[in-house]
Amino acid sequence: MAAGRAGAGCWQRALWLSRRCRLQAGPESYRCSSSSTALGKAVDSSEVTEEEIVLPRRKTWNKLAVLQTLASTVNRDPTAAHYMFQDDPFLMPRNAANSRLYSLSKESGRNAAKYIVKNFPQYFDKTFAEPNVPCLMPETLTPQTEGVSEEALKERIKLRRVKESVDIFDQLVQAGTPLSLETTNSLLDLLCFYGDEESTSENEEEAKKDLEEPGVNASEEKAPKRQFQRGLQSSGPRWRDNNHAERIFKIMPERNAHSYCTMIRGMVKHGAFAKAYDMYIDLLNERHKADVHTFNALIRAAPILKEKFTERWELTKEFLTHMAQQEVQPNLLTFNAVLKALRRCGGVGRSMALLVVKEMEALDIEPSLATYDHLLSIFYRGVDLPPSGIISEVLDEVEKRSFTPQDPDDANFFSTAMQVCCDLKDIKLAYRLNKGMEKGDNWKFLDMDRLNGYWSKFFSLLCMMEQIEVVLKWYKEMSPSLFYPTPKNILDLLQALDAANQLEVIPAVWEDVKQLGFTRRQELLEEFLSLMSRDQHPDEIQLAFAKCAEDIKAAHEPAGREQVPLEWTGSTLGNVVVLFSRAGRTQDAWNMMELFQQTNRIPTDKVMNEFLNCAKQTNCPEESIKLVKLAASLGLPSSHRLKSRTEEEFELSEIQKKTLESIKWDGDSSDSDSSDSDSDRE
Amino acid sequence: MAAAARALRVLPRALPGPARLLHTSPTCLKTRAARVRVGKGDKPVTYEQAHAPHHIAHRKGWLSLHTGNLCGEEGAAERAVEDTFLRRFLFGTFPGLLQDEVVLKRRGNLLVVCALLSRALPPHKIYFLVGYTETLLSHFYKCPVRLELQTVPARVVYKYL
Repeated sequence: MAAGRAGAGCWQRALWLSRRCRLQAGPESYRCSSSSTALGKAVDSSEVTEEEIVLPRRKTWNKLAVLQTLASTVNRDPTAAHYMFQDDPFLMPRNAANSRLYSLSKESGRNAAKYIVKNFPQYFDKTFAEPNVPCLMPETLTPQTEGVSEEALKERIKLRRVKESVDIFDQLVQAGTPLSLETTNSLLDLLCFYGDEESTSENEEEAKKDLEEPGVNASEEKAPKRQFQRGLQSSGPRWRDNNHAERIFKIMPERNAHSYCTMIRGMVKHGAFAKAYDMYIDLLNERHKADVHTFNALIRAAPILKEKFTERWELTKEFLTHMAQQEVQPNLLTFNAVLKALRRCGGVGRSMALLVVKEMEALDIEPSLATYDHLLSIFYRGVDLPPSGIISEVLDEVEKRSFTPQDPDDANFFSTAMQVCCDLKDIKLAYRLNKGMEKGDNWKFLDMDRLNGYWSKFFSLLCMMEQIEVVLKWYKEMSPSLFYPTPKNILDLLQALDAANQLEVIPAVWEDVKQLGFTRRQELLEEFLSLMSRDQHPDEIQLAFAKCAEDIKAAHEPAGREQVPLEWTGSTLGNVVVLFSRAGRTQDAWNMMELFQQTNRIPTDKVMNEFLNCAKQTNCPEESIKLVKLAASLGLPSSHRLKSRTEEEFELSEIQKKTLESIKWDGDSSDSDSSDSDSDRE
Repeated sequence: MAAAARALRVLPRALPGPARLLHTSPTCLKTRAARVRVGKGDKPVTYEQAHAPHHIAHRKGWLSLHTGNLCGEEGAAERAVEDTFLRRFLFGTFPGLLQDEVVLKRRGNLLVVCALLSRALPPHKIYFLVGYTETLLSHFYKCPVRLELQTVPARVVYKYL
């Protein structure tokens, strides 16, 4: 209020002042004007002394700006390791070997805990959680029913106890108790599934296979597939002759189709393919019908039963016709098995594969990733292939939808596809494949090992095909979080840097190589040294190169531990000398030169010249004399030129000149004469 | 009747009436709990150990975070027992590696164990122990247990007492 009044008062006073000025305008107008001008001047000068206040323009933000900024923070962190590792610099794996080791150690720790829970269930079986968590309770694996009876047998089968089931079965047969066909069939199922070995030793083997395929994020998908896959690989349990399954099969009073089918499937799973075929013939003779799983197994066995391409295809077609005759509907796995067989049928496979896929579409079966994997293998992986455009069509399909795992071979698709892109040297296909992998759940098909291989191949392709800025951007983003570069990747990166003439990035790459633990790889070291020492570079870069050379030198020296020191080659030794010389480190360079004699290697002319240049720059005539001595002792043809250069370019004292003259080398009396005459003249 | 009278006279002393008794409990030592006594100056002490309990919420945080002590919430005692067990379990499972008290955080069903380890063991052995601890404790307490580790090269000394 007071302020308002005061303000009003001021305003009134100002008005009054101006009125006064105007009133006095007449006779004393000049005075008024002068006063006003004085006032005005005062005002002007005060304005001038004040700085110009520039009001900034009002920023208008996009409505979504805040949300977009927040979204940009939720990207993949390019410096973090995989989620399963602890976020600590000591505990973070630096290269592929370490990441495998740590994930395997964690898994084995988990197995140790599960062992304890299984063996001491009494400490873990209190149910105090509401609701109860069944997956965290110990498994009740002890059979409840005692005695020898069919119920006991059924329970043992349910608990997967192979040996005990067989024992009880034998006891029952000896006692003469009649057993139902279903029970015997379920016993046969158990035996054929486990290949007549105990399921717990199977579990240990499973654990060992776990160790070979670490994949925590994909392990849920792979769990049902693991036994399947291992069964067909050569390291599964083999089908022994006259094992329990065969014996029980023979003594069965009656057999139905299920018995034959399960025997066939077990034999194919464990590698007794010829026997499986014989069993199938028996099944046909008994006029039974096989089911779709049996046919799938037989088709999988077809390429192993026959040798020639046409015969294999004929056998597969025979199985398919039988399937049609017995009115068994094929499913996805049937067609995948057919395609897998066609992979091993060469040219026949190529002509038939597309027909098979069309048949699949006609039956309204959605192809899975394994289908595409087999297709790509048929058309792109082989010798003397005609070019085809299958890959773009396949990528079209893959980009469209998110796949679920339906076949054990689904996991191989992305690796095969990336390999095909690399072979075709097409980076655009690779980008499309990446997009397909990021769609939906498709990333789950790649476990740790496959992920590393996939990105490694992608990076090699990038280095070959893309500009260096793009390559470096991908490199910074991908390693070490997505993949750990292999030595081949580092070599490709060096070549790309060389092609783009950006050799100053090399020291940074060397730091990464040290972290990855590749410092003892001979081909990598040679590549690094040759690239660094090829041309002259500005000084700071030269100093950085010299530091890298020092690290490489350290790798060649005995480290005191059991590691055998690396052997020097002529080129590596020479390059190290060149790098030290260019950076002005004369003493280090001379130490390297002495190594030439120790390791019986010959320095090139370039090396000697560089060393002389360095000695000249740092003004060490002693070193140059030592160099000439060394050259003479090694019997190099350039030693004369070196000697003359030393004489010309250096200011030598008397003693030094005498030493230089007295250096003996084999041959050439004329030179020694001229040197004698020189000394005579002096 | 005479016998009854004699029995009454022969009765031992009467039942004790109101009496003054002394009730003892084990000594509580409230003034000595969680305090490191000052010595010659050669005893290294971490920040956690150097501060007395009355500094909690002023200079220290809590070592165990759960909602059992809030108004209307149950289970404080069970949480305390679980905490004790967890600390002993971790002390034994990571032999000589724990550099400071373990911090336990409960978020909903999840139990987060934050431990500070030294770098005495190689990383793959530490990962073995991590996998083992997580799985065993999950099965024991029927809730997901997660271990978050940080390694330090040496014990972080706050002062010497």
